[in-house]
Amino acid sequence: MDIQWWMLAVAILLPVVAAVLVFLIRQYQLRGLIVILTAAVLIVNSIYFLKLELPVSFTPDNPIWGTIITVLDYAMLLFYIYVGLSLKNWLVLIFALTQIIPLAWWEFGLGASHALEEIKPAFLIDNLAVLMVLVISIIGSLICVYAIRYMYDHEEHKHLEKSRQSRFLFWLVLFLGAMNGLVLADNLMWLYFFWEVTTLCCFQLIAHDLTKEAINNGARALWMNSIGGTAMVAAMIYLYNANGGNIEYLSLSNIIASGGAEAFLLLPVALMCFTGMIKAAQMPFQNWLLGAMVAPTPVSALLHSSTMVKAGVYLVLRLAPAFNPVLGMIVAVCGAFTFFAASVLAISQTTGKRVLAYSTIANLGLIIACAGLRTELAIAAAMLLIIFHAISKGLLFMCAGTIEHQIWSREIEDMEGLAEKAPLTTFITITGMLSMFLPPFGMLLGKWMALEAVYAVPLAAILFVLASAATMVFWAKWLGRLLQVTPKLGKKIESLSLSYSVPLWSLFVGIFVFGFAVAPLYDRFIRGAVNNVVAVQHAFTEGWQIVLPDAATALSLEKGVELLGSYPVVALFIVFAVAIVLPLLFVKLKPQELKPVYLCGEQVGDVDTDEWYAEADNVSKLELGGYYFKGAASEESLNTWVYVVAISLLVIMFSIVLGVSL
Amino acid sequence: MSDQVLNQVLIAIIAVVVAPFIGGFLAGIDRKLTARLQGRYGPPILQPFYDFFKLLGKSKIATSRTQFIWLISYLVFMIACLVFLVLQQDLLLLVFLLGFAGISFVLAGFSTKSPYSHFGANRELLQILSYEPILLLFALAVYAENGSFMISSIMENSTPLLVSLWPVFIAVLVALTIKMRKSPFDISTSHHGHQELVKGIMTEISGPYYALVTLTEWYELVLVLGLIALFWSNPLWVGILIALAAFILELLIDNINARVTGGLMVRICWAAALVLCVLNILYIYFMRGVA
Repeated sequence: MDIQWWMLAVAILLPVVAAVLVFLIRQYQLRGLIVILTAAVLIVNSIYFLKLELPVSFTPDNPIWGTIITVLDYAMLLFYIYVGLSLKNWLVLIFALTQIIPLAWWEFGLGASHALEEIKPAFLIDNLAVLMVLVISIIGSLICVYAIRYMYDHEEHKHLEKSRQSRFLFWLVLFLGAMNGLVLADNLMWLYFFWEVTTLCCFQLIAHDLTKEAINNGARALWMNSIGGTAMVAAMIYLYNANGGNIEYLSLSNIIASGGAEAFLLLPVALMCFTGMIKAAQMPFQNWLLGAMVAPTPVSALLHSSTMVKAGVYLVLRLAPAFNPVLGMIVAVCGAFTFFAASVLAISQTTGKRVLAYSTIANLGLIIACAGLRTELAIAAAMLLIIFHAISKGLLFMCAGTIEHQIWSREIEDMEGLAEKAPLTTFITITGMLSMFLPPFGMLLGKWMALEAVYAVPLAAILFVLASAATMVFWAKWLGRLLQVTPKLGKKIESLSLSYSVPLWSLFVGIFVFGFAVAPLYDRFIRGAVNNVVAVQHAFTEGWQIVLPDAATALSLEKGVELLGSYPVVALFIVFAVAIVLPLLFVKLKPQELKPVYLCGEQVGDVDTDEWYAEADNVSKLELGGYYFKGAASEESLNTWVYVVAISLLVIMFSIVLGVSL
Repeated sequence: MSDQVLNQVLIAIIAVVVAPFIGGFLAGIDRKLTARLQGRYGPPILQPFYDFFKLLGKSKIATSRTQFIWLISYLVFMIACLVFLVLQQDLLLLVFLLGFAGISFVLAGFSTKSPYSHFGANRELLQILSYEPILLLFALAVYAENGSFMISSIMENSTPLLVSLWPVFIAVLVALTIKMRKSPFDISTSHHGHQELVKGIMTEISGPYYALVTLTEWYELVLVLGLIALFWSNPLWVGILIALAAFILELLIDNINARVTGGLMVRICWAAALVLCVLNILYIYFMRGVA
């Protein structure tokens, strides 16, 4: 068989087999070993994808695969109906029915099923798909390794009688296979299948702890994503029927090749874009992702960094060539609005994971806005953001989980002075946070590119600017809670289990390596992926450059090219090293230089105390709270507006699209 | 090419060396003028330098193990901004670097367990929230006008930015008030006696570290005035005169205004950013569309 067959089998089927194995094996060490081996094989395999001559299409010879997928499609939808009935959650039931009835009517009532078997190719491996496979396989695998120990501690803390770790790891590992399938699929029917599998995994993982809240939030994720599934079914049926029963446009590559020229394609493209926006938790559908944080932290790490929400932005990015200018502009404004609203709402959050969740929603909005802008710079920005966001956010969620297992709380206020209790975890967390919003790190490079590209849509530009300012505030606020220490406390460095420290340090190193080597990274494989979306001219030699311009102006004079912007990566890293790394390594304070803080002499004892004489001379612990701006930025005061604006934007989008296509 | 590199390095070094002298001198003028406006005699013009060396000579005292790292970072990123300015680099990136400098200072305030320092740090964050959109929109406005984010493109353009970007100029003056820590926006710390007693975010910074912050403020002053000078870059001396006029204007504003609350500051600044900058950018955008 072809090499592609084996690579696809490893990427998609190996996680399925491994998932079954970890489900069956109840022994902690052996199960862990299988997860680690699977992770290693997935990572190596994903790197081998770079060696393929791209793009390559592939369709399995045996028609049995098509049949299996159809059967599993209906099995999943029937399961959703069962979930809806057993939980008495009518929304789940309704949106399962809105998928299964049209699908069955279309495939069997209209007799389309025969034609649907002829769609070729099933998979299309191009640079964009490979980029996603790398992100999913590497970062997703690391998170699975992290989960081995995390779930052990999790159940230890909850004193469960019967271990449910096998079940958890089953869905977690299966998720990776489904995601790999999703980004590689070209046949829309197959794409839809993998899409539904990710929805199912997501539901199972969120509901894992089986508390009332967990089940409710899982069901919410299920019905919201089922709306997306319904939109995708509608899009597929429309693509088939409006084209006179022709299967031509049931493959992604053909839709994209149309380049937005076919008017009748606009509606299905908008519907699928809508599906992607729901999965990417864009406003007004942000609640399912916010609710997902009740799950054990590896779930959040996986959903937020390399899977699930990235499937949403992937689909929007993939479809970007098929937008027409107006649809592109509205998508850009929708994304920019989510970026803005989520950043402002993040300011008032008091729970660490909730801040992370809003930050994810905001960054996904930014990526979707970039997809809507559809210039080369914007698409490149979107891809860099996908990569760096996956690294940083994966790291931060794993840090949040590690912190939670040290202080058994998710509240930011409880993290006050964390550096005393867990200096190592705090150090990694702080680096992760800095990498989210400050130069010289990759996320800022993406944001910088996005801002330089956004001028074409001024409304989106304004939202970007306000959101950037809000982003700085909510990160700095949280950093502030972590940093403060009483000088003489906290000298002991905590030890972390290997299952924690290997993924944490890998991503920590990843932030610096990929951030520093972003120019070769871009040349080697991001440029190709950008090329799958828009035709690459020479953005980074003409106009924008991200290499070291030792004399940027000189360069522009020499080559006769006007420089539009420049981001000297190496220079920025040098500045960072001089500013933070060198003082951290080489400047040490002597013990006699440390003095107590200014408290008008009210402290009890000396430097090594954090107690003071409060009201009526009671000795109290000195506690400093953060500002949360509950009045101006809280969900209660803003959510109404957010929903009104977000829903109006969607209504505007579909009215325009309907106006064009009818 | 190598000649040009050498040239650039030389320019950068000169700027880094000369800027603190200008900044310190301006600070001296500030104190003298403010004193006269308040009917006092005031210290000699060189007083900031005397203070600076006095602070440097003191022994090091710290209330936190990490605070000094953020203070060094504050200084280094501020110097980097200045170098970016004189080498005529990307304006938007410069604003982001200035953001890192600002955040470093906030984190310096947070990294000690002191209530006053925390009050100051939280307020400094509000200040960042206020001026950051104005500066980012300034960069976007420059792109709208010149079609490039490079400061070099501003220097090459023969028409001064002030002609088409005067509303943005007014908004940047508002940002300058915050950056110079002048009333009505001296929220996080101030140069006036009424807050100097417990000096907000500066409370836990003393001796050589305080000298470091003073030095950074001088760099910052020169940097922000340099950004204002960009509004009339051809010939540059007009721009410098405008920047100096803006400096004097800030001193007047400082002395005839009372401090506002943090919330009001954010509202005023966002209103300035949204009304002045956005209308300005939209005007350019649509005029270009018409033409």
